[in-house]
Amino acid sequence: MVFDSIDRRRFLLLAAAPLLAAQKAATPHARESMLQMNGYAVNAETPLALLTDYVTPNELFFVRSHWIPRTPDPKKWRLTIDGEVERPAQLTLSDLKKLPRAETTCVLQCAGNGRGLYAPTVPGVQWRYGAVGNARWSGVRVRDVLERAGVKASAKHLHVFGSDDPPGKVPPFQRSIEMEKVLADGILAFAMNGEPLPVVHGAPLRLIVPGWAGDHWMKWLVRLSPQPESQKGFYMETAYRYPLTVGAPGVAFKPEEMSPVTELFVKSNITTSPKKAKAGHTYEIRGFAFSGAPDIAKVEISDDDGATWTEATLDPRHDPYAWRRWSHRWTPSRAGAARICARATDSNGHVQPRDAAWNQSGYLHNSWHFVDVEVTA
Amino acid sequence: MKRAIVIVLALVLAVAAAPKKRAAYDPNLPVLGTKFHALPAGTGRQLVEASCLPCHSPDILVQQRLTEKQWTATVDKMIRWGAVLKEKDKPAVVAYLSKNFGVANSFTPTKTRPVGY
Repeated sequence: MVFDSIDRRRFLLLAAAPLLAAQKAATPHARESMLQMNGYAVNAETPLALLTDYVTPNELFFVRSHWIPRTPDPKKWRLTIDGEVERPAQLTLSDLKKLPRAETTCVLQCAGNGRGLYAPTVPGVQWRYGAVGNARWSGVRVRDVLERAGVKASAKHLHVFGSDDPPGKVPPFQRSIEMEKVLADGILAFAMNGEPLPVVHGAPLRLIVPGWAGDHWMKWLVRLSPQPESQKGFYMETAYRYPLTVGAPGVAFKPEEMSPVTELFVKSNITTSPKKAKAGHTYEIRGFAFSGAPDIAKVEISDDDGATWTEATLDPRHDPYAWRRWSHRWTPSRAGAARICARATDSNGHVQPRDAAWNQSGYLHNSWHFVDVEVTA
Repeated sequence: MKRAIVIVLALVLAVAAAPKKRAAYDPNLPVLGTKFHALPAGTGRQLVEASCLPCHSPDILVQQRLTEKQWTATVDKMIRWGAVLKEKDKPAVVAYLSKNFGVANSFTPTKTRPVGY
């Protein structure tokens, strides 16, 4: 039923009022916040200046929703295992928790993070920098679950299904992942940063695919189905695809000229820098870097538009596919406008490009991140 | 109204799942998902409200920077996906969206409380 939007807003605000009232004890004038990109379905990114911790707190972790979710009833929830397996099963959360625990700390980035930075502009949520975070995901290995079900050698792709139910005639969000990747690294997570997985992040169970973009990290998981072929449908054959070759900005590719978005591209962002500086004084520049490769080899900083580079210091704290925080002590030598930028190189030798390759859906933006600083004498 | 109830239930669930640690935020900020951008006045606004807002908040429209060709393609896709919009009303919707959210448009996201607060 279509209804008037004013009624909707009034209804929402009335319904939310008790919740608002219950939260008034919060610390005033504190800095934690989110940037709402869409009120419903909820999409919100983290302000870049708050992405300074190795582990991004749950309350500051970006939220991505395709639609207003139909989240599973935890009491009735089951994970169905079917397809190319010897023993199809329906597992409860208790069943899963009897398996050996697995844990990984790694980056989750929305495939469209940075879409709003592409030119020409493209439709979709206009994410800038903050649809990314680094969290500790705890659960069980996909491998353990599927091996207990007797996964067959004929299974080459894991089809994954969530309870996310689209409105109208919108195609369902259904994906598949190459079995080799998901058996090697995949985790079924029921906890995030030591807390039960929040509903907005997919409770009771979410798929974790370290090193791969968020389109594979299915939330509200209800079914895993190993199959010989990859999944079909709009979100495999049309959306979440990236060009196989670099094209001209603004010229769309056909679906067959693209393949599904998988590994993240090497990328670094600057989280901390001065707005103004004095020549001869020293300032700390900080940020993070990550990639679809397991580690970052180096991060370099330039203050002359990429003509010369100085290597930043990498923080020793690291896990495979997690981000590396980095820092750099910068001493501007002369007055004037300075443009600081960062570029990362990953452990596979991939170097962050000056300009991300334009693509019609705005995926995997990873251009150098520039920050302007006014330097006085 | 059924859809709105689902929204509120989702909101309640999200808040109920809030971590025990207290975030340090400004209580004057709105809860995530409760305050939306306004659509500018003009011919076509009511049609846009009726056809787009059942599934999206105005935010997702207000942030776009699209050519008329891109808006036409987007509206066509939404109609295929179930948006309730008569063919005769489509030009007014495309014109409104193209005029207000063209390539020179700018957008500031709504600053909200942390997630779950």
